[in-house]
Amino acid sequence: MRNTYLLLLSGAAVRTVVAAEAPRPRGVGPEFAKYYKDSETFTCISAPSIHLPIAHLNDDFCDCPDGSDEPGTSACAHLSPLSPASFGSTPSDNIDTTVALPGFYCKNKGHQPSYVPFTAINDGVCDYEFCCDGSDEWAKVGGVKCEDRCKEIGKEWKKQDEQRQKSLSNAAKRRKDIVADASRLRKEVEDRLQSLRTEIQGGEMKVKALESDLAEAERQEKSKVVKSPKGLSKMGLLAQLVKDRIEELRESLMEVRSQRDTGKARIAELEGILSTFKEEYNPNFNDEGVKRAVRSWENYAARDKPAIGDDAHDRDLDEIAKPDGETGAIKWSEWEEPEESDVDVLYKFEAYLPTSVRDWLDQKLRDLRVILVDNGILATAHSPDGESKELEDARNALKAAQDSLNDNIKQLTTHQEDLEKDYGADDVFRALKGQCVSKDSGEYTYELCWLDKTKQKSKKGGSQTTMGNFVSVDKIMVDDEMPPNGKGLGSGERVALRYENGQHCWNGPNRSTLVVLACAEKDEVWKITEEEKCVYRMEVGTPAVCGVGEKNEDKSRDEL
Amino acid sequence: MYLTVKHEGFKTCEQSGFCKRNRAYADNVGVLGNSWTSPYSLSTKTLKIENGHITATLVKSRGEGVAAVELPVKITFLQSEAARVTVDEKKRRQGEIELRHGSQARKERYNEASKWAIVGGEELDRSAKAETSSKETVVNYGSDNRCKAVISHSPFSIDFFRDDHLHVKLNGKGLMNMEQWRPKVEKPEIMEDEEPKEGKQPVEEGEDESTWWEETFGGNIDSKPKGPESVGLDITFPGYEHVYGIPGHASSLSLKQTRGGSDAYEQPYRLYNSDVFEYEMDSPMTLYGAIPFMQAHRKDSTVGVFWLNAAETWIDIVKRKASSNPLSLGIGGKIDTETHWFSENGLLDVFVFLGPTPKDVISQYSELTGYTQLPQQFAIAYHQCRWNYVTDEDVRDVDKKMDRARIPYDVIWLDIEYTDGKKYFTWDAHTFPDPLGMEKQLDSHDRKLVVIIDPHIKNEGNYPVVDELKSKSFGVKNKDNNLYEGWCWPGSSHWIDCFNPAALEWWKSLFAYSSFTGTAANTFVWNDMNEPSVFNGPETTMPKDNIHHGNWEHRDVHNINGMTFVNATYHALLARDPPASRRRPFVLTRSYYSGSQRLGAMWTGDNQAEWSHLAASIPMVLTLNIAGFPFAGADVGGFFGNPSKELLTRWYQAGAFYPFFRGHAHIDTRRREPYLAGEPYTSIITQALRLRYQLLPAWYTAFHAASVSGVPILQPHYYAHPGDEAAFAIEDQFYLGSTGLLAKPVVTEGAESVSIYLPRGETYYDYFTYTTHVGSGSTITIPAPLDKIPLLMKAGHIIPRKDRPRRSSGLMRWDPFTLVITLGSKREAEGDLYVDDGESYDYENGAYIHRHFSFSSSTLKSSDLSADTDVSKPSKKRKAYLTAMTAVRVEKIVVIGAPKEWNGRSEVKVAEGAKPTRTVGMKWFEGERGAANWAIVRDPGTEIGNGWTIEF
Repeated sequence: MRNTYLLLLSGAAVRTVVAAEAPRPRGVGPEFAKYYKDSETFTCISAPSIHLPIAHLNDDFCDCPDGSDEPGTSACAHLSPLSPASFGSTPSDNIDTTVALPGFYCKNKGHQPSYVPFTAINDGVCDYEFCCDGSDEWAKVGGVKCEDRCKEIGKEWKKQDEQRQKSLSNAAKRRKDIVADASRLRKEVEDRLQSLRTEIQGGEMKVKALESDLAEAERQEKSKVVKSPKGLSKMGLLAQLVKDRIEELRESLMEVRSQRDTGKARIAELEGILSTFKEEYNPNFNDEGVKRAVRSWENYAARDKPAIGDDAHDRDLDEIAKPDGETGAIKWSEWEEPEESDVDVLYKFEAYLPTSVRDWLDQKLRDLRVILVDNGILATAHSPDGESKELEDARNALKAAQDSLNDNIKQLTTHQEDLEKDYGADDVFRALKGQCVSKDSGEYTYELCWLDKTKQKSKKGGSQTTMGNFVSVDKIMVDDEMPPNGKGLGSGERVALRYENGQHCWNGPNRSTLVVLACAEKDEVWKITEEEKCVYRMEVGTPAVCGVGEKNEDKSRDEL
Repeated sequence: MYLTVKHEGFKTCEQSGFCKRNRAYADNVGVLGNSWTSPYSLSTKTLKIENGHITATLVKSRGEGVAAVELPVKITFLQSEAARVTVDEKKRRQGEIELRHGSQARKERYNEASKWAIVGGEELDRSAKAETSSKETVVNYGSDNRCKAVISHSPFSIDFFRDDHLHVKLNGKGLMNMEQWRPKVEKPEIMEDEEPKEGKQPVEEGEDESTWWEETFGGNIDSKPKGPESVGLDITFPGYEHVYGIPGHASSLSLKQTRGGSDAYEQPYRLYNSDVFEYEMDSPMTLYGAIPFMQAHRKDSTVGVFWLNAAETWIDIVKRKASSNPLSLGIGGKIDTETHWFSENGLLDVFVFLGPTPKDVISQYSELTGYTQLPQQFAIAYHQCRWNYVTDEDVRDVDKKMDRARIPYDVIWLDIEYTDGKKYFTWDAHTFPDPLGMEKQLDSHDRKLVVIIDPHIKNEGNYPVVDELKSKSFGVKNKDNNLYEGWCWPGSSHWIDCFNPAALEWWKSLFAYSSFTGTAANTFVWNDMNEPSVFNGPETTMPKDNIHHGNWEHRDVHNINGMTFVNATYHALLARDPPASRRRPFVLTRSYYSGSQRLGAMWTGDNQAEWSHLAASIPMVLTLNIAGFPFAGADVGGFFGNPSKELLTRWYQAGAFYPFFRGHAHIDTRRREPYLAGEPYTSIITQALRLRYQLLPAWYTAFHAASVSGVPILQPHYYAHPGDEAAFAIEDQFYLGSTGLLAKPVVTEGAESVSIYLPRGETYYDYFTYTTHVGSGSTITIPAPLDKIPLLMKAGHIIPRKDRPRRSSGLMRWDPFTLVITLGSKREAEGDLYVDDGESYDYENGAYIHRHFSFSSSTLKSSDLSADTDVSKPSKKRKAYLTAMTAVRVEKIVVIGAPKEWNGRSEVKVAEGAKPTRTVGMKWFEGERGAANWAIVRDPGTEIGNGWTIEF
C-alpha cells in the first residue's frame, strides 16, 4: 500500500509544479536537477543503461547501482566502499557503481543549504548541524518530529560568521605587524652580519700582525740561554712555607676524598637498588607511586652524570697524595738547598774571559744555539720560572685577537645560518621566537614557546616536563570539523611546527609535539591531545599563518 | 617484544599441596594396578530410596583398628535427565572438629556453591525407579527410562548408561579421595641417622604429612586452620576421544592430555581464578575464570559432567586405547578419556548429563546454572575502549571522529583513569569536569558509556565509600577476623565482600544516579580485577585463609568470588531505575564461574597484540560458548603492545564474530581507533564493523535463543555436525547461531587464502560473491586477501539482516529488513527472527516479535513463534509494540541458489493477513564464474511482525 501512496505523491508533485521553478524530487540538490526532469522514467545517473519507471524514484528501495534513484531516502546508504561487499540489483561489474549524489539535499531556507549523509536520513535523529529545517527526518520514524530551526540557527550562524570575518580581518592586520617585526628583526641580523664581516677583516689583519710580533719575540726568547735569576735567598723560606701549606691541603684533600668515596659507594648501592627495582617491578599494576618513582629514576639515570672521580682523576689524586720526597712531585730539598746547575757553570766559565772576547763568544754561542734550536737539535730553554714578559705579552695579545676573531666568525656563522633557517612564510616566526602561550587542559598546564620548546606541568604538582624542542616548520593535511566559533583547524593544508626529542617518557619514547597552526586573531592554544603515548598534538591559533599555506578545502558545509 | 607470563608467580601442581597429594594418590593406584581396591563403600543398611533421590552413608575404611570415616552421600535424579552425586563429611558437618590457630572459620565443608551457581532445573524425576541388591543399586530414569545408573556398593562406583550403552563412570579407577578431618599430631623430630622403617606406614594418603598443614608460596603463608580437606574423583568417558570445556584456559577446543601422550601438557588443567599478567598460549595454566563443566563427545553422542566446587580445582586428562574395555565395543569407540578431578576443599558434588546431543548437554547444564541474560541490543554491537580516554573532551572527540569517518559504534568505555585517584564512584575533576555533558552527547546518537568499577576500595581518608565499608564491616576479613588490607590500583585497599547480603544492598545504593553523580541512564559498568586481583597477595589474589561473610574461608569460595561482585553490580544497575522503567543491566566481568552468564558479558582478559593471541581467541571464545557462557570476546587488537595495521584489520574481521565485540588497548600503546589506521585499513575495518551491524538481527536472534535454551551463539564444528567424526577437533571455524553462517577468520600474517573444512554433501555459498562450494568432508581453499572475511552461508537457511548503515544500532530500530534465503538441492530453507525494543523488560510482557521463516514448495512463509498466551491474550504492551512495529517492513528478499526455472519470471505473489493479495517485482540473475544463480524480490513490503506468504 505504501508504495502506491508514494507513487501518487511524487506523481502529483511532478505534475503540479511542472511549469514553475525546476521541480526537484526530495533530497535532490539544484546541481543535479537536470537528471530528474523526466516525468515518465528515471535513468540512473552513472549507469544510463538502466531506466526505471518514475514510481521507483524515492520509493525507499535502491535500484540504481549508483544510488541515484533514492536521493531522498536512506535506501541506497549502503552503497559505499565502507560497506561489506554485496551485489546490488545488478550483477554486472562493468557498471559504474560510484555513488552519484553527495547526500540528501537540505534546503535550509533562512540558512545555507547543505547535504546530509544518506546514513542519517530517517534514523530518528534531528541532525540540525547539517539540516536545520529538519527535512532529514521527513518520515518521522518512531514519532520523531524535527521542527524547522533554520531561522534561529541561521541567525546565530550569521552572527558568528560576522564575528569570524571580523576576527579574520583583524588577524590579517596583526599578521602584517608581525611580518613587519620579523623583517625588522631580519634587517637587524643582516646589519649585524655586515658589521661582523668588517670586524672580521680588521681582526684578521690584527691577528696577522700579532703573529709576526710573537714570532720575533719567540726568536728573541730562543736566543736567551739563561733566565734572570730569582731571589734565591728567600727561596728556602718560601719553600718551607709552601711545603707546610701543601701538606695541610693534601690532608684535607685526602679526607674529602674518603668522604667522597663513601658517598660514591652509597650512590652506587642506591642506583643498584633502583635499577633492579626498575627491572623487576610489574608495569601492569600501574601503581601511581611506583610509576612516578620509576619515571623519576629514569630521568635521573638519563641525565649526564657528573664525573665523580674517574680513574684518571683518581690517579692524579694518588700522585698528589704521595708525600713529596725522593719520588714525590716536588723535591723540596732542591729548593731548600739549591745546587749549581750546568748553566751556572757555563756562566761562571765566561766570567774568566775578557769582555770583548766574552761578548764575541756570547754572540757566537747565541747564534749557534739559535741554529741548534731551529734545527731541533737543542730544546728551547725551559725553566720553571716561565717565559719572559715580552713573549708572554705577545702571546696573550695574539690569543685575545684570535679569540675575538673566532667569536666574530662564530657569530657570523650563527647569523648566516639564522638567515637561511626556515622561519615560515615571510619569515614570520622570527618575530614570535621565544614568546610563549599556555593553556590549561585536564590535569596539566601546557605551554608552547614559539620555535623553542613545548612543555607541560601537572596541576597536581611536580616539575615541568619538556614535550619537545623545536625542529622544523612543516606542512600537513588536516581534516577536522570547524567549530562554529572558528577556533579549529578545519580542512586542508596547515602549517605545522615540529618539536621533537623532549623528555623521555616512562615506558615510551622521548616526548614530541606536533603544533598545528590555523589562522586566529591572537595566539591561542585551542586543544592538546596525546595522539599516542607521549606524542602530542597541539592545535594553535595564531595570526602568523593567516592566509599563508592555509589552502582551505572548507568542506564543513558540503562535506559528506 | 614478546612477553611471557611470570611462571614463578603461580603454583605448579607440585607446589599446591592437595594437587600433589591427589596426583600421588593416582600414581600409587596406578602402581598397584589390579591389587588396588578403593576404600569407599556404600553402607547398604543406611540406604534410603525416595522419589528421585537416594541417600546413604559412604564409608571410607582406613584399615584395621582405625575408625572408618562416615561420608553422607546423596544421589539425585532430575527431570532434565541430569544426575547428581553429593558427598559430605559427617564430622565436619556436625562441627565435631577443631580448627587450628584459633580460627573463626566455619567447620563444615563449603556447601553454598549451589546457592550461587544453581538457579533451576532441580525438579526431581519422580518416575525414576530404583532396584537394590546387596551388590548394587540400579536406577532407571529419564524419558522412557532410557538412562540408567548402576551404583556398585563396594567399592563404591557409579556407571551411567544411556540406551544400554555405558557413557560415564565415576570412581571406576578408584581415585575417589575425601580427605577427612584429622587433628595435627605433633611428632618428635626424626633423628637424621634413623632409617625409615619399611612397610610400617599405612597405605592411605597419610604417609606424607608435609602438605597437610601450613603451606608457603612466594613468601605468603597459608595457615590452613582446617588441615587437609581435598576431594577427588576419577570420571571416565568410555569410547570418547574428545573432551571440551572447563574454561578458562588459553588452550585448544578439544582438550589435551595432561599425563603423558604426544602433545600433552605436564600440568593438569587448573581452575583458580587469577589475574595472570601476560598469559601464555597453549597452556593448561589457570586464567581469570572457572567453569568446571566438561563435555565428552564421540560420533553422535555427547555427555557431560559439572563439578560444582568453588575451591581451587585441577583436572588431569588421559586418553587411553580402550581395546580392553568390552563395554565400549560395538559403539565405535576406540579410546577412553579418563579424567581426574580434585578440589582443595568443599563438598564432592558432581552432575552427570547424558545428552545425547551437544545441545542437550548444554541445555541441561544451562537449566541448572541459568541462561545468558538477554542483553540490551547495544551490548552486542561494537564497543570502543581504551585505557584510557583521558578527558571528557577526548571522549567527545572520539565520538565525533567515528561519525566523521562513518564508522558505526555503540559504546565508548572509560578505564580506571577517569576516577579521582582510583576512588570508584568519583570523577577526576580536572579531566572529567562534565561527565553528564559527555553522556548527553553520546545519547544524542543512542550511544552508551561504560565506566569501570572494581572491587578494591581505596583505603584513604575523606573517601565516604571506604569510611562506610569500614564502619559497617562490609569488607573481606583477614584470618584474624580484622578488615583485610591489600594492594591494588589505588595502593592500599579493602575489598567489598559481596557474599554479605547487607554489603550487596549497600553496593546497590552506591550506583543510584544521586549517589554516583555524573552517571546517566546510558552509563553502564565494567567489573575488572574481581578474581580478586591483589597485587601483593599470594598468586596475585587474596590469602586463602581470609574470612568472608558467614565465616567461610576465602579458599572455600574463591572461584565464586568474582561472580558475587558482578551479581551485586547487576542488581545495583537494575535498582537505578524505577521498576516500571527497568532496563536490562550491562556488566562486563573478567572473573567468572558457572552462572555468571546470567549477569552479563566476559572477555578473555589481558591478551597481546600478537597473531598467536588472535588465533587463540577463537578456541577460547568457542570453549566459553559450549560451556554455557556465550557472551564472550577477546580484546580486539590485543591489549598489550601495538598491532601492525594488518593484524589490527584481521582482528576486527575476527572480532566482528565475537559475541562480545570490543576494541581495547593498554595505556602504553599507541592510539588505534579504527579511523586512525589509514587506507586501505580504515575502510576494511569499517566494512567489518558494518558487517556486524548488518547482521545484528541474526546476532540478536542468536542471543535470544541462548537466553531461553542455552544454545551457543558461536557453534563449533562438532556441535553443528556431531556425526562428522573426522572433524571433532576443528577449532578455528564456527557457525553463528542457527543461521548457517560459517566463518573462518584469518589469524595468520600475510594470508591470501584460507583452508576451510566443509562436511560431506553440504552446499555453501560465499557470503559476498555467492560462489558455490560443495563439501566433501575435507578442506577447500577460499581466497582471503586482506579485504575479505572468509564467510560462507550453508544452504537451507534464512538469514535476517538490516542493510542500511547507521551511526549506532539504536538508530537502526526503524530500518527495514532484508531476508537472505540460501537454497540447496532440496530447495528448502528456514530461519528465525527475534526482535524487541532492545533495552527494556517489556518482552516479558509480550512486547516482542518472534518469527519463523520457512521456504518450501516455492513458497516463503512467515509464521509466529510467539508464546501462545501472548498471542491469545496480548498485553497492552504487546499491542502497543506490535502497532509501532507495523512501520517496519521487509524491503528485500535475496534468494541464493534460485532455481533456473525462475528465469524470465518478473513477479511473486504476496499474501499478507487480511490485505488483498498483491504482486511485487522479482528478478532472476545467472551467477557467473562459479557463483550460484540468485534472485531478488523487490520490496515485498510485508510487515516484519505479520504473518504472510510469498509465492515464487
